[in-house]
Amino acid sequence: MLFQWGMRRQKKQMNDGVQQEGDDHSGEVADVPQEPMSAELAVNIDIIRRATGESDDVVIRRFSLGQEKQMKAAVVFVDGLVDEKNVYEFLLTPLLTASFPLALEEKERLQWIEQKLAAVGGVKHVADWKLLFCELFSGATVMMIDGTSFAICASTKGGQYRSIEEPQTQIAVRGPREGFTESLRTNTAMIRRRIKNPNLWLETMQIGTVTQTDVAIMYVKGIANDEIIEEVKKRLRRIDIDGVLESGYIEQLIEDQTFTPFPTTYHTERPDIVAANLLEGRVAIFVEGTPFVLVAPALFIQFFQAVEDYYARFDIATALRFLRVLIFFISLVAPAAYIAGTMFHQEMIPTLLVIAIAAQREAVPFPAFVEALIMEVTFEILREAGIRLPRAVGQAVSIVGALVIGQAAVEAGLVSSAMVIVVSITAIASFATPSFAIAISARLIRFALMFLAAMFGFYGIMMGLLVMTIHLCSLRSFGVPYMSPLAPFMPSNMGDTLFRLPTWMFRERPRLISQKNIVRQSGDQKPQQPTPSRQGKGDES
Amino acid sequence: MKRAFALFISLTAYVCLLAGCWSQRELTDLAFVIAIGLDKTEEGEYLASLQVVNPGNVAGAVPRGGGAGGVPVSIYTSTGDSVSEASRKATEKVSRLLYYAHTNLVVVSEELAREGLDEVFDAMERHHQFRTTAKLVIARGHSAKEVLSVLTPIDKISARQIIQMLKFSELAWGETSNIDIWRTVRDIAVSQRNPVMTGVAIEGDPRKGKRQENVQSSVPDARIKLDGLALFKNDRLVRWVDGPTARGMMWVLERIQHTNLTVPWEGKKEAIGYRTTRSKTKVKAKIKNGRPSISIHIIAEGELSESRIPINLADTSLLFRLEKELERSAKEDVTKAIKAAQREKTDVFGFGAAVHRAAPRLWKKIEKEWHDRYFPELDVTVTTDMHIRRTRMWDKPY
Repeated sequence: MLFQWGMRRQKKQMNDGVQQEGDDHSGEVADVPQEPMSAELAVNIDIIRRATGESDDVVIRRFSLGQEKQMKAAVVFVDGLVDEKNVYEFLLTPLLTASFPLALEEKERLQWIEQKLAAVGGVKHVADWKLLFCELFSGATVMMIDGTSFAICASTKGGQYRSIEEPQTQIAVRGPREGFTESLRTNTAMIRRRIKNPNLWLETMQIGTVTQTDVAIMYVKGIANDEIIEEVKKRLRRIDIDGVLESGYIEQLIEDQTFTPFPTTYHTERPDIVAANLLEGRVAIFVEGTPFVLVAPALFIQFFQAVEDYYARFDIATALRFLRVLIFFISLVAPAAYIAGTMFHQEMIPTLLVIAIAAQREAVPFPAFVEALIMEVTFEILREAGIRLPRAVGQAVSIVGALVIGQAAVEAGLVSSAMVIVVSITAIASFATPSFAIAISARLIRFALMFLAAMFGFYGIMMGLLVMTIHLCSLRSFGVPYMSPLAPFMPSNMGDTLFRLPTWMFRERPRLISQKNIVRQSGDQKPQQPTPSRQGKGDES
Repeated sequence: MKRAFALFISLTAYVCLLAGCWSQRELTDLAFVIAIGLDKTEEGEYLASLQVVNPGNVAGAVPRGGGAGGVPVSIYTSTGDSVSEASRKATEKVSRLLYYAHTNLVVVSEELAREGLDEVFDAMERHHQFRTTAKLVIARGHSAKEVLSVLTPIDKISARQIIQMLKFSELAWGETSNIDIWRTVRDIAVSQRNPVMTGVAIEGDPRKGKRQENVQSSVPDARIKLDGLALFKNDRLVRWVDGPTARGMMWVLERIQHTNLTVPWEGKKEAIGYRTTRSKTKVKAKIKNGRPSISIHIIAEGELSESRIPINLADTSLLFRLEKELERSAKEDVTKAIKAAQREKTDVFGFGAAVHRAAPRLWKKIEKEWHDRYFPELDVTVTTDMHIRRTRMWDKPY
């Protein structure tokens, strides 16, 4: 039903799209002048001013070239997007002081400037308005000369960005402290610094018909599967949206399955996680303006792998992996199991415990299901409030919350203390999941399971989990089975699932992700005791 | 396609709806029957006493709703011609649904046990909630209702008190038996071994035991205690055995874990105490001239727990003599137990099963007459082998 409904909606949207396509695009294109660049400077400047609505931050600096001051010229840049020092020192000063040879032909003039005067890195010839504006708003400085029908764009990107800080999510005790920023270039540089290899390829494209957001895909050529790279590119190219403000936009437009509570792409704020994923053959998608980088394809088990697993020794890492699966399970079924246990299967609870729970429930006026629902919803409200509120008020909320869902509710006889324990353990468990994305899906499924438990008891929970498992097995992320290497079962990749084998045993990359280049290290790296030297022995005897 | 889809959905719905645990009940709608007591009235009806927990008054629970200080359990009684009728009828007096899944104890009056427990076992095995992992004890001297009415101090729920006593008394002393109902029923049904059950008695005044004051005193007016073993012949109680005889029975049944033996030494009674830590019993049947005989071999390990006379425990030859004395003492108990069972013509040890294993063909012939003819005259040889492994801290008591 839901799917049919979804399909119908999609179809409708597509139809709408067809009808509106003409208006949509013409409306958008109208902002950019259609006519080619004029040879007259004044006309070009006028076009720029009109196109930008004479915005204040578009700085147009007119001047005359050379000592003879005969050649009219202008530079255009957007205040705040450029490094002004760069513009003045390396562009304007040389231009104003240089002696410009007037004898040069029209075409050669700008070339001369490019070669002799523009003392900045990237310089580009642009003859197209669309491209020119794109460069301009990416922080380039545009130079134009009277009598030339094209412009030079010099890369002077600059301006204020948040500096590199410790990531707010996926915090690790041991591991690098830097996290991605909103600057795409800084982010890609962080990966470059980690993988110093020419095979680390980066491809950038602009997505968003209005925003023209830079989106870059990064992969290690030779490790990443070409088919997956192609698939990612194909899906990105298909996107036709007015704006991309966060990688979540991209994520939702390229994921394999929309109607699932499970995330089929991974997102992270940590460069070391991205680097590790690139080395496993995955593709990273960077989006300008967000510190969250997408990684595809994502596997179910990946959401249980914390970055610290690989930095810690294998024994504790393995133990923690098991703990995390347990945590996920608890956050999924704890309230449902409480409901089923107290409403249907009283015989399954040890005698003393059932009596203790019964005693607490004596004064509770609601059925166990309603009680659980009240508490879970209360908790969700508190959590939501805690996130949204200003930090200073947040503490007050947590104190009130502790009282509301804790003591007061129990003392008022509205809920039993056993229920408070169940809700608390669920809440803590949902926070302990290493990936927020999977914790959210558990959050949704939990409510579904609670309903099932209230209707059918443990039978309902089992049915729910069964359906969930089947659904999980049917999912794919960029063509890779979501549950691999568990299903399909791949013994050689099991070392990095529930278990985390010692690092020297990680011989292979995930097989289904990097399909051809799977061997990652030699197989004889087991640390050895130093062999006693022969000489010493000889001396003794 | 559409029809197939509809069919699939409806089939799935049937599966979900028809197989669910449909009997949803709230905890607060249930009366947890923690123990059942069964007596016979003068009219020959069953008198069921149901010990129901008052959850609010059990220790550990938050006292609420003014119920603080109340009694942890209440007894509801009703009569009926059959066990199930009697227990069903009790719902007339209880505001909640009687719930038997947590019934852990059944107390049967001696009177009823002497008449036979067949009907009781049948009702229990058949009941959909009742668990046959519950324990069955025989009220000795008092009615089952009186036993269940006594309030107990440590474990607030007296049924639990009795269960705990059964468990730890068998473990630490070994004169009572802690077995589940299903095992008893199996023993009777298979008929090669008759059951042995533990007796429960009241020490003190049962009328005072009902009152809350009983648990407010450091020396309760009425106490429940385990008291002896009841020997059954099929489903009928035939005899009580106590003390060393009961322990001898447990030796043969290989259910002694820790117990204390005392032996006289140099004229002084109960001079040396010995605590077993491990024991093993082997029962073997031999056939001679078409007549079965049984040999029992008991091996036990343990340590000296007490010495009331000054002897040199570092002397190994003395320890060997002590072991001999212990062996004699244990053998005496076991022989007494076997004699008692033989006198009542009830094979509670499973000797029949041993004979069956040793000579299946012969068993076919004598099976019918086993209890009444062969078992009472059975030739049983008992050998015991006691080891003193440690003498603990003191070599020479002063």
